[in-house]
Amino acid sequence: MKGIKKKSVQSEIFTGSMADISFLLIIYFMVTSVFSATRGLDFQLPDESQTPPEIKQEDAIDVHVAADKTLRVDGQVMPLERLLPYIADKLKQNPEKPVILRTDPNATYGDMIRVFDELRQAPDKIGMEIKTISIPTQREIQNIWALLGVQ
Amino acid sequence: MAIIRGRARKVGAEVFTASMADIVFLLIVFFVLTYNTEVDHTQVTLPETWVRTDIPKKAALISIDSPSHGEVIRVSTGEEMSLPVSTNEEVVTFASNVVAQDPEKEFIIKADKDVKYEKVDAVLDALKQAKVKVIFLLSNQKTVDG
Repeated sequence: MKGIKKKSVQSEIFTGSMADISFLLIIYFMVTSVFSATRGLDFQLPDESQTPPEIKQEDAIDVHVAADKTLRVDGQVMPLERLLPYIADKLKQNPEKPVILRTDPNATYGDMIRVFDELRQAPDKIGMEIKTISIPTQREIQNIWALLGVQ
Repeated sequence: MAIIRGRARKVGAEVFTASMADIVFLLIVFFVLTYNTEVDHTQVTLPETWVRTDIPKKAALISIDSPSHGEVIRVSTGEEMSLPVSTNEEVVTFASNVVAQDPEKEFIIKADKDVKYEKVDAVLDALKQAKVKVIFLLSNQKTVDG
């Protein structure tokens, strides 16, 4: 008997357009993706359920950032580089001593962050941690002054 | 002059493209993994800090535009696109609503470094009134060059 050659059917997935689709996806991701900043300084607010410890200004280290970028620590004008050594001396006497960071409303946000960042570097620069950094708002400061009877 | 008879042998000039698919897939995987949906497109110059901690994804966001753009405040729950607000009371209402749904929700303040502190202070005050627990102040990495 004469054999008839069977015609083999090839099964293939067409991949010709794969490169086009891939490039289209790459272009989409490149155009829409952004290198967003996803890090920053964290700032924990006191828990309202617990009674916050009363901090008197004389018990704390008062850091004030003026509108002209001048830094006053406990009333003395001080360069930023002197801030942590000054705090280190105070923390040696009382490790629990809190720091109150006040900023003039006319100063810039960058000025405040510069000082806050310096305070947060205390463990690296002076080997001591500042346990409490308080950032009171203008309303809170005015409330305290009203309580103390200061105009 | 000698003439070479017969067909001239063609030298095929081809660019090797077999590895192209691998590179393309590698790039796609990279973009898929690093892709972030940005909920706020406010262009600000962030302050630079040495200390920086990771900000949780889907945290609520409050942005304050640069002084040249009118220091506009925008708010976002972290899920939807940010919307402008005009008063501090609106920020308090927004933050209170977010905290009512999730008391542990973190907030991000994304503010231009040249914004007057008065503006940031008002936002901080609003967040304190809304009983927000953790705030992140978005910053860029400070470098030795400054």
